[in-house]
Amino acid sequence: MTNTATGIIRALNSGIKHIATKRFTLRYPEEKLKFVGDGYQFDPSTGVGIAGLKGRHMLFHDHCTGCQLCSIACEGVAEAIAMVKVPEEQKQNKKSIMPQIDYGKCVFCGLCVDACPFYALYMTNDYELSSFSKEGLIYTPAQLAVKPYVEQDSEIVITKYGATHG
Amino acid sequence: MSVIAPNFKLSGFIKSLIDDVVWAVLIVSLIGLPAIMMVLFVIPMPVIDGELLTPFLAFTYLADPTRTLPIVQAFMTTDMFKIMAFPGFGFAALLAAGTIFVERKMLAKLQLRVGPFYCGKVEGILQLMGDGLKLISKEIIIPAKADKPIFWAAPVLFVASAAAFVALIPVAPGWVVADVDMGLLGVFAVIGFFPIVTILSAWSANSKFPFIGGIRALFQMVSFEIPLILSLLGVVMVTGTLNLSEIAASQSSFPWIVFLPVGAIVFFITMLAELERIPFDLPEAESEIVAGWLTELSGMMYGLVQLGTYLKLYAFAALFVVLFLGGWNGPMIVPPFPMEIVTHGLEMGPVTVKVGGLEPLLTQVITQEMLNGTLMFVLKTVGVIFFILLPRGVFPRIRVDMLLNLGWTKLIGLAFVNIFIALALVYAGVLGPGGLQ
Amino acid sequence: MTAELPPGLAIQKVDERIMTLNVGPQHPGSGHMRIIVQIDGDYIVACDPDPGYVHRGEEKMAEYRNYITNIPHLERPVIHDSCNVLYPYVLGVEELLGIEVPERAKYVRVICSELNRCIYIMYWLAIYGIFLGHSTMFMWPAGDRELLIDLMEKISGARVTHAHFVPGGVRNDLPPNFEEVCLRQVNYFEKRIREYAAVFYDNPILISRTQDTGVLSREDAIRLGTTGSVLRASGVSYDLRQKEPYDVYEELDVHSPVMKEGDSYARSKIPWLDMLESCNIIKQALEKMPKSGSVRVKLKPNPKGKGLDSVYKRVESGRGSLGCHIVSDGKVEPYRLKLSVGSFRNLIALPYLLKGEKLGNMPSVYWSLNYWPVEADR
Repeated sequence: MTNTATGIIRALNSGIKHIATKRFTLRYPEEKLKFVGDGYQFDPSTGVGIAGLKGRHMLFHDHCTGCQLCSIACEGVAEAIAMVKVPEEQKQNKKSIMPQIDYGKCVFCGLCVDACPFYALYMTNDYELSSFSKEGLIYTPAQLAVKPYVEQDSEIVITKYGATHG
Repeated sequence: MSVIAPNFKLSGFIKSLIDDVVWAVLIVSLIGLPAIMMVLFVIPMPVIDGELLTPFLAFTYLADPTRTLPIVQAFMTTDMFKIMAFPGFGFAALLAAGTIFVERKMLAKLQLRVGPFYCGKVEGILQLMGDGLKLISKEIIIPAKADKPIFWAAPVLFVASAAAFVALIPVAPGWVVADVDMGLLGVFAVIGFFPIVTILSAWSANSKFPFIGGIRALFQMVSFEIPLILSLLGVVMVTGTLNLSEIAASQSSFPWIVFLPVGAIVFFITMLAELERIPFDLPEAESEIVAGWLTELSGMMYGLVQLGTYLKLYAFAALFVVLFLGGWNGPMIVPPFPMEIVTHGLEMGPVTVKVGGLEPLLTQVITQEMLNGTLMFVLKTVGVIFFILLPRGVFPRIRVDMLLNLGWTKLIGLAFVNIFIALALVYAGVLGPGGLQ
Repeated sequence: MTAELPPGLAIQKVDERIMTLNVGPQHPGSGHMRIIVQIDGDYIVACDPDPGYVHRGEEKMAEYRNYITNIPHLERPVIHDSCNVLYPYVLGVEELLGIEVPERAKYVRVICSELNRCIYIMYWLAIYGIFLGHSTMFMWPAGDRELLIDLMEKISGARVTHAHFVPGGVRNDLPPNFEEVCLRQVNYFEKRIREYAAVFYDNPILISRTQDTGVLSREDAIRLGTTGSVLRASGVSYDLRQKEPYDVYEELDVHSPVMKEGDSYARSKIPWLDMLESCNIIKQALEKMPKSGSVRVKLKPNPKGKGLDSVYKRVESGRGSLGCHIVSDGKVEPYRLKLSVGSFRNLIALPYLLKGEKLGNMPSVYWSLNYWPVEADR
């Protein structure tokens, strides 16, 4: 009987103590999370990737040769990359084709970045990719060349009164 | 924040304007005018200064404060005011709405999260209004094989019995909606009505999950009624009366919880069970029986049941305060109204503003005693409600056989211990007619 | 009828007192699965679990993808415990190809595996709390596991479905300054989960609800083939990290908790003790890890096996032993891939445990078997 009573009082005590602890929620979209690094990248010479968030891709038009390796890598996973013809003339891109990524299908696994041998495809920190129509989710090579501006201001801070996203 | 507005079309805008006008005309002519007719024909008009008060006269009086205040005072002493605003439905609904908001925010802080946040500029104050509007706009679905008259009537009966319970509670000396001489017996009668309404609603829905939930609610409420009644008998013995206002008045020097703590604890536990709060929320156990006896209620019927539940919560907490914590008694913290404003008037620069008619209002209706009593009552009720809301964050749900074991054996035993303590105190002359007052 | 019907289709005589209740997929107390329960008043007479609502044919689909493209595919059964689901597959492919993984990669794999185990157990504990009606026990684990998901995001770049393990090591190295952040957050995480004792594990209402219900004796646990925390709660001390150590578990100190009672309370407490042990392992691994080194063996673009070969590897995941049997015939796709998961094997104990139980005990017994519906169906 006393065991029950002490158990109940300890539980209530713990409850009251937690009313004085800080809240843990991240108030998105007023606060946005900070990321380490610039996005997931891959170095074909060493064969190891560089840690970063797997967000939207970024295509460097002056490195891409149109070899289609990224599209072949994606075929078993999500079939989100298709090669399209681009109007610009690049010296290293004889057939003038570049990848176009459909974010309705992409699962953000990063195997295409691992497959590219010419340092042309990286992933960035951009994750806010919503659109009003399914066609809006297909990013053409010109759209993929734009470096995104990502707002980041909060990270997990552990204080005396609890952890919070500050 | 993330509201996406569709493109503006002029035809859509004009259509919505016409819709608003049509609805306003319909509502005013079909509901507003009959209401005014009812007020004019059914409710007796007071007579002020030899003139019958019609709505037109009331509007002219509103321009002159010396004449408005006697109207306000006359209105505040009528029964209608006591039922609708204070201490009846308006007061209880305000406290219930405040309870819902505080519950959600306090529970959120306990669980290290934010709670309602977007509705209303200040941390989600208008969330309750948003929820109410949402419930009104939903379709009410009745199961095909349900017993329709009883199914429609059950939520209304629930709110009616909760409102009857609220009507018996005295808030300040002289301010109670129904001043019944055997108030406590009236409370027992109303409490006994709740399981009937629950089982009617559950049975008439004609479906498995409400059936199980209704049977469990019946078990729970019936088996906890006996300890509830027994635990209050101790208070009746030491005060010698069943009238709730007199019980509250008899605690002017000390509250009864000092002498009858066991009874207070038993009453608190049975109160949690009668309100179906965690840890006793078996009738609505979500993980086993979807939502218990509330499963088939949708739309405004669910809204009415929630309103009834929170009115019941306020009424039980208020009953606890009246019986064990001293009701409206307490130190006088409200300062008296400075009487110079009444006699000489308020001085604002070169002008002195004197308002007649203020004196009878302040000495008869809104006295310092009544304001102080109300404030103490509200503070104590808020404290009790905090302790009712706290177990929700801390305890899991108990099981049916543990509940029955608790209600039929342990709590009845504790309630009898309480009765013996009360009898011993009365016969030893410590309390009651011969002892401390 | 002259032909005899198979047992599943035979016409049964139903007693009038017995009500058949469908704790079905659209129910707040069941997950993606259906349990058909026959109750007599408040007692359960018979129970028939009905999994299969989320079966996708993952093992068949794995035969159409090559060994590298199988990685995002095979981590989908348990999305937040994805490293542990990929672990036996990756170990198996490494053995088929005959490659040796560098030391630092093994330590990174162990850290990721333990972090994932804690993430999964916190989610499981959250749902256990909500089944018992304890809403705080739902919010606290769901919030505190964000501390660890944040760490996994810094390592692998994704919050769930990390796709971090590859045959030959891991895909990328730890970010700079990781050890300090990891140690700080894991220490705070440990402090937080110790506070669950006051509110949940020492709560008299919880104890009286789960103690002595659904008792699985030691012989029954071994005979029915249960695994993981269910086995350890019945007194059998069997943890694959100690019995068949893989990667660097031989060098780390692993003490798996064991309880003797075998009731629901023990089965709900063992994962919590497991998590405290995992925090310990992470701290040890961070200390012993080589400070620099490669984390991946460079492979040819499309690895293929050497002729007809098969391998079977087992790993201790959050739910028990997870095994992967790979049969390869020299092509770039596997010929057959079979995942043997802990959830499906623990489900066999459910009809035995629920017979004769009260209906109120059903959620606590069912979910305490550490069951994850998506993984059981694959």
